[in-house]
Amino acid sequence: MMRLDPITRTKLARFRSIGRGYWSALILAALMGLSLCAELLVNSRALLVFYQGSLYFPTYGAVMPGTVFGEDYAYETDYRALKQRFSEAGQGDWVVMPLIPYNPLEINAYEGEFAPHPPNAAREHYLGTDIAGRDVAARLVYGFRIAIWFSVALLLSTYVIGIALGCWMGYRGGWIDLGVQRLIEIWSNVPFLYVIMIVASIVTPGFGLLVSLMVLFGWMGMTWYMRTATYKEAARDYVLAARALGAGPWRIIGRHILPNTMSIIVTFIPFSIAGGITALTALDYLGFGLPPPTPSWGELLKQGTDRLDAPWIVSSVVAGLIAILVMVTFVGEAIREAFDPRRQVRYA
Amino acid sequence: MPKMRWMLSCLLGTLLVGCSEPPEVERSGEWTSANQLVWTPEIASARRALLEPYPALGLSALPAGLVWETHPGTPFLGSAEARPGGTFYDHASVYPLTLRTVGPDSNNSFRGYLLANQWSLTTLHPDTETPIPELALEWAVSADQTTLFFRLDPAVRWSDGVPVTADDYLYTLEFMRSEAIVAPWYNNYFTEQILSVEKYDDYTIAVRGAVPKPAVDLHTSLSISPKPRHFHVLDSGWVQNTNWAIEPNTGPYQIDRRSLVDGKGKYLVFQKKEDWWGRHRPQYQGRFNVDRVRIKIIRDPNTAFQSFNKGDLDSFALVLPEFWHEKAKGPAYDRGYLEKLWVYNDAPRPSTGVWMNQAHPLLAERSIRLGLQHSLNFEKMLRTVLRNDYVRLSQHYTGYGSYTNPAVVPRAFDLAAAEGYFTDAGFAQRGPDGIRVRDGVRLSFTMTYSQAVHTPRLVVLQDEAKKAGLEIKLQLLDGQNAFRNIMEKQHELAWMGWSTGFRPAYWEHYHSANAGKPQTNNITNTAIPALDTLIEGYRSATDASTRIALSHQIQARLDAEAMFAPGYMVPYSRGAHWRWIRFPSAAGTRDGGGLYDPFSSASGGLFWIDSEIRDETRAAQREGRGFAPVLRIDERFKP
Repeated sequence: MMRLDPITRTKLARFRSIGRGYWSALILAALMGLSLCAELLVNSRALLVFYQGSLYFPTYGAVMPGTVFGEDYAYETDYRALKQRFSEAGQGDWVVMPLIPYNPLEINAYEGEFAPHPPNAAREHYLGTDIAGRDVAARLVYGFRIAIWFSVALLLSTYVIGIALGCWMGYRGGWIDLGVQRLIEIWSNVPFLYVIMIVASIVTPGFGLLVSLMVLFGWMGMTWYMRTATYKEAARDYVLAARALGAGPWRIIGRHILPNTMSIIVTFIPFSIAGGITALTALDYLGFGLPPPTPSWGELLKQGTDRLDAPWIVSSVVAGLIAILVMVTFVGEAIREAFDPRRQVRYA
Repeated sequence: MPKMRWMLSCLLGTLLVGCSEPPEVERSGEWTSANQLVWTPEIASARRALLEPYPALGLSALPAGLVWETHPGTPFLGSAEARPGGTFYDHASVYPLTLRTVGPDSNNSFRGYLLANQWSLTTLHPDTETPIPELALEWAVSADQTTLFFRLDPAVRWSDGVPVTADDYLYTLEFMRSEAIVAPWYNNYFTEQILSVEKYDDYTIAVRGAVPKPAVDLHTSLSISPKPRHFHVLDSGWVQNTNWAIEPNTGPYQIDRRSLVDGKGKYLVFQKKEDWWGRHRPQYQGRFNVDRVRIKIIRDPNTAFQSFNKGDLDSFALVLPEFWHEKAKGPAYDRGYLEKLWVYNDAPRPSTGVWMNQAHPLLAERSIRLGLQHSLNFEKMLRTVLRNDYVRLSQHYTGYGSYTNPAVVPRAFDLAAAEGYFTDAGFAQRGPDGIRVRDGVRLSFTMTYSQAVHTPRLVVLQDEAKKAGLEIKLQLLDGQNAFRNIMEKQHELAWMGWSTGFRPAYWEHYHSANAGKPQTNNITNTAIPALDTLIEGYRSATDASTRIALSHQIQARLDAEAMFAPGYMVPYSRGAHWRWIRFPSAAGTRDGGGLYDPFSSASGGLFWIDSEIRDETRAAQREGRGFAPVLRIDERFKP
């Protein structure tokens, strides 16, 4: 059991007392958790198939060709068709499909109609399809998963670099501080979007490459805050005391200074998450993001704005974006409120 | 402070305008390239008088036994109902980087407008492909089928009033061969393909080609367009000095100088010439009717379409299915203010499809190429994304008339056939992800393409290919990089299309001389000795029937080798226009010309503007009245 100090406990209590922030945090955490098992909720593969006395779990693992279930094709089973066939045959076989029985990449065509198809509950296209006939809801869910975890990966990497370098600059001060500051200023002036555009035109950026590129040009912001905070903390008596006891610089930074600057870091996290999501969406919108056919909100947004005559595309993705970003902002506000140092510390 | 900034920007504005204003003419007779910016009939004729004429061989030097041909009597395209006058509002996506039609930066999409007003000696009738007069009235073919003789129309004038004579054609060769124009392709073409231009008298010339060809093919390669000798100064400053110079031309329209200054970056106006030489030729009656063509620059097609719907543009091309079916509908169409026009054509088709690089170890195997062909579900792509508006292409050389082998048909999506071919190649097993494997190698290829709008089309192929156990990874690169990647033969599969020529060109695409090296058009890396022999025979044959027979054999062989999976073609032009834009009964031509093309000599300028109908339409819009909706489909040339 982790022991929390009383100040942190009051902070958490205050956070919990701010209703909309607290609930937004719970919902976001639930969505992130659920997105990890999106395959169980939104998928063209069945959750469970009962065929000739045995049970199959096709969701994870290798492709099950149609021949496994007595179909006459060697490619992946069409479980929706299989479900229909089983229920028509009435031989006691059954199929349990996920909530949304489509995967984000498959193209659905209906005789005599052309994509994009409007929302249709009977076909279980709850938000319609995009211009290639792919289910919008499925693409939203998988697009969310990519965007949010992209954001988290981006946040972790930029913070590790930014915090380490910022603390080091603030702690050492002097020439090191001055020199690194100038380097950061120069580096900040590299036009990030151009670099992305150039790279994207030469190679197709994957998830890893895109994160690395954004980290490469995005770590600078955090260093400034951490540098200032460390400067302030390093001048305090407890740091002097730790040094007098013989603690090394990284121990002092890690054990003593960092916990005291935690409120700054925590306050920034939600806004960085929102920034990461919008950055990826913007890149995808411009066509410099993840390669097709990766489900992505930016790509859906692009389709939607090109095809305003199919309003279900643009309204779904805009509603999704607004909901997520508003929730993240609520969380951010609540954290800022709860961790506000003026509430705990009194300066003389 | 804001006030000062405002004043500053005003000052800057005047300075800029001041700079683009043409400098005062110096009429001292001292001709510099800079003076070309201001060009009046007086300057033009004075300058013309200073030129030394080229020596003439004399009419007696003409070879004996020439058979002079002239207009074959094919019907004229213009309508007797056409009314002159009005301004046609058109749009283009980019402002040109230069008004030159040769040299650096000249190969932009705007060049079409300029070239369409630089006419040539003869042209081919757009429906019948027979030669018809343009700047020359009569022509004859030399006995050895290498040279064309022309009798020029003495009525032809440059836009500055100076007559077009044999000297201008002789000068064309000098011009096109000059290093001053910085255009290696033209330098080469006018040296290697056109050997000489000879002057017999002021209005009789011969253009000598390098290789013997059938008569019609001679016209396409030797019917050159003249360059105004009195206008150009071929020195090292030529490229710079002619960037924004309005070169005298021979077509019915010329750029309006004022629009160049006032509308720089925003629009350009072409003005009809007041006393154009072609006005009295029966061939051009009822053609080139509008007085002005104003081309507005609108970068984004969706924005342009909105302008069109508002009435700021007169016409809009609607080739893409979603524009035609989804966007071009609503009250303005239902009430007949906007009319839709769909004209099928029958012309050589760009070869859009999947190009397989045989330098790749797997794609070098014919059975894998065949399996791949049967794994590509073009039928579904056409049915779902393209609404069956586009049509399956049958082979690389579709639409070349008798040169196209009708026996070559595309391979259908057929999982059993794909299974058979892949099994033959040893790819019988599927891995855990459903993709075939052979000795640990997955059956997976990267497909390079360059247009984001094609993504929805290609994901259909990608998704369906999985059923055949084939993985296609899509790689979207921007145009330049995709082309470089393909030209350096770095690709595995390339999704692209070659533009067309008058006759099939096999050597550049399939001869082994172009295989295995970068920057050639043999992007499939095809090197088959037997095919080389056929291609060489085709290149050297002068007799049309031999060439046709060889052409059919080559196409059959290409089909058997299956290195190109033919995609689709667009066998029509279509669009919408405001109802005051009127057309003759034939709004388009077999070669795909006509419709909203204002200039081209062969098939442009067919439409006219009816101002009474315009007033009537505007009044109806105000009063909320409507007309019967109009959808005109012309299937004369439907394949």
